[in-house]
Amino acid sequence: MKIIAVTACPSGVAHTYMAAESLKVAADESKACESCFVETQGQIGIEDALSPAQIHDADVVILTNDIGIKNEERFKGKPVLRVHASDLIKKSPIIVEKLAQKLA
Amino acid sequence: MTEVLSKAIIDLNVVAKTKEDVFSRLTTLLDHDGRLNDPAVYMQNVADREALTTTGIGFGIAIPHGKTDAVKSVSVAIAKLEQPIDWEAMDGKPVDMVFQLAVPAASQGDAHLKLLAALSRQLIHADFRSKIKQATSEDEVIALIGNTINQTLEVPS
Repeated sequence: MKIIAVTACPSGVAHTYMAAESLKVAADESKACESCFVETQGQIGIEDALSPAQIHDADVVILTNDIGIKNEERFKGKPVLRVHASDLIKKSPIIVEKLAQKLA
Repeated sequence: MTEVLSKAIIDLNVVAKTKEDVFSRLTTLLDHDGRLNDPAVYMQNVADREALTTTGIGFGIAIPHGKTDAVKSVSVAIAKLEQPIDWEAMDGKPVDMVFQLAVPAASQGDAHLKLLAALSRQLIHADFRSKIKQATSEDEVIALIGNTINQTLEVPS
């Protein structure tokens, strides 16, 4: 399974990055996950922007829904899962596990 | 440039009952180390930011921050609390470790934000959290965080 994600939060200083890191750690630890790229849209701006190839290859897109995600039209036609940034921080391993089961 | 971290702004034995007690202790340390122009204004800025949304990010950790002219140089003051206190945290758990940021209003670029981002990422890692919570000396804390921050903060002040 190839995951891509975009994280953002209202203040854009902490949760955006904690959610991104949390998902990456969970994906690294999951045998079902081949790759995981996470773009952050924080107060610093957009970092680790997803490439067209990464988006094309992805099996699933995870977007945080605390605030709007910029350039969301990139993911048209892809399965999208929307979650709170805090859910990624608290339970990324469970989210990755469930996605793997669904896509298997 | 002034170091972001120093022994003088770390207290691993803070006795506090409220967030304000912690803000006050760390503001005093920052002021005594010559990092503030106006401690009262800085502390009010931290309290105002906290009132917007909690900086209790879970795992017993809080990262309050103030960005104002009352700050001379980018700094991270650190407190370990003798007794955990309520911080209205994201996971509802009491807080026993506080990283309080001080950032000058005219801070060049996004140095402080990158620093916060890097610290936030580090704090996701359970091994980093447990190491830093078990640290018994200021030097140990500085060594643990030092790499994170030095890699991040390349902008001279």
